[in-house]
Amino acid sequence: MTGNGQGTQLRSRAASIEISQVTKIFPDSRGGALKALDRASCSVSPGEFVCILGPSGCGKSTLLNILSGLDESYEGSAQIHGRPVREQLAAGFRVGYVFQEPRLMPWRTVRENIEFALRASDFPASQWRAKIDRCLALVELSDFGEFYPLQLSGGMQQRASIARAFAIEPDILLMDEPFSALDELTARRLRQQLLTIWMAYRSTVLFVTHNAFEATFLSDRILMMTKGPGRFCDEIDLKFLTRPRSYEDTQVFDASRNVVRRLFDHVGSLDAEDQTQLSSARSAPALQNSTRFVP
Amino acid sequence: MTALHASPETAKSVTKDAPTGLPFGVSPWLEAACGDYAIKALSVLSLIGLWYIAAARLPATIMPPPHTVVEVLWQEMMSGPIWTHVLVTLRRIAIAFSLAMSVSLMLGFAMGMFRAAERFFEVWVLTAMIVPSLVLILTIYMVVGLNDMAATIGAALPVIPIVTINIWESIKSVDTKLIDMAKVYRAEKMRIIRSVITPQIAPTLFASARFGLGLVWKTVLFVELLGRSDGIGYQIQFYYQLFNMSGVLAHALLFLIIMLILEIGILGRFERRFFHWRPAARRL
Repeated sequence: MTGNGQGTQLRSRAASIEISQVTKIFPDSRGGALKALDRASCSVSPGEFVCILGPSGCGKSTLLNILSGLDESYEGSAQIHGRPVREQLAAGFRVGYVFQEPRLMPWRTVRENIEFALRASDFPASQWRAKIDRCLALVELSDFGEFYPLQLSGGMQQRASIARAFAIEPDILLMDEPFSALDELTARRLRQQLLTIWMAYRSTVLFVTHNAFEATFLSDRILMMTKGPGRFCDEIDLKFLTRPRSYEDTQVFDASRNVVRRLFDHVGSLDAEDQTQLSSARSAPALQNSTRFVP
Repeated sequence: MTALHASPETAKSVTKDAPTGLPFGVSPWLEAACGDYAIKALSVLSLIGLWYIAAARLPATIMPPPHTVVEVLWQEMMSGPIWTHVLVTLRRIAIAFSLAMSVSLMLGFAMGMFRAAERFFEVWVLTAMIVPSLVLILTIYMVVGLNDMAATIGAALPVIPIVTINIWESIKSVDTKLIDMAKVYRAEKMRIIRSVITPQIAPTLFASARFGLGLVWKTVLFVELLGRSDGIGYQIQFYYQLFNMSGVLAHALLFLIIMLILEIGILGRFERRFFHWRPAARRL
């Protein structure tokens, strides 16, 4: 629907993701260790929109850092389209990353911020203007390219960072709770916008969240994680929900109730303390898990 | 259905998201500027007023009134020799400032980026900061000799630890989240240093430079007073020994004016041009 006109101009090289038996251990300052991921395995097919749902501190962000190449010390194998992450990134596969905060450089205008990513991804300068204009239009920021980030609201900044992520035409788009710092109204609108852009673009998306409704509304498939140490515990297929999706759709709502129930089934197997942590929906510091030391 | 649903929300959110920190219209800006200038004028006038009050209460030989000092300064400026002293001092300031800044930059960067350098130089920097400037300067004069090189080194040395600490701290506080962002988008190391790290520490570097300049010009007068036979510091010392306070204050006044022009006219303008992206703190 809405974005299909632009879709023809966008390149689509959606890549698959294969994670197998990935274990990540963070040493702590007292000589102990915290196991953030414990033999986690999952796979995402090309063009799929997958949400990773789980309580705070279950290693969701760690997984994204591994896939983006930021974190290179882990056990197990993480592959993009059949080859290890490192090789694939060196070979020119592009990863877009939308962080929890916008992470725009405040001394550059919105346009210059996107230019930074395009230059780093080796796009010729002659293409920048057109690409940026198109991406800003997608996130409805066409009039704000020459503004500095600090002149924009939080929601607009996050939209700019989404534009940046799509501008490099990512083979994989990683999103780490990108809407959790925004008010619900803005977040809703951005989710809708994200889906519109994604439907035009169809890159592979791995979206991390602790919000069950958000996960249901957005994704083709939900992968659930438990914490301490983080591993995948359940999978819910949502491809039966037709797209474009709407907030008013009772089907989406029913599905999300089912997701919440399944989530609590798994979290319930943990101790009571963890459960309160989740139901109060507060973001606990990652070190919450430090009670579970690895010898 | 989605389109119908999205449009009212779109409209709502665009107005809600409208930028808040834009430069306001021209006329309030002008008003604000005039207000600023009025406050600045008032500030200078009250300083001169305070001087007059002090002059009225003290003998003219100890605290001459502003107009006497200006008159003496005018005569000095017309007769000429004061300009050679000004140039000599300005030259020393320039050299000492460059020396202090380059050493501080190297030390500060090394200490901010490498743990070993931090461990090694921390004691040096702290020692240099704690030892009184007077001791540092006298030691340099003794070791290097009573010459111009000793004077510039002596003027630079007390400034180095203070500026170094500033730079060191600013590098340690660089936002690693932005660096991660740059890495994810595959930016090369040099580009990250140039486009992500340097702009972050530029405001502190700039503040350190201004701060350094302010300190250097004081230390230069001090080294001139202690061991040189030319320059404004020497002149002030000379007139002081003649008990000629008008001469002392006239030289100080000329230098004050020169440094104010440097500070406000050049550095201040430069700063505004480079850091226009920063919202002014006073908006809080």
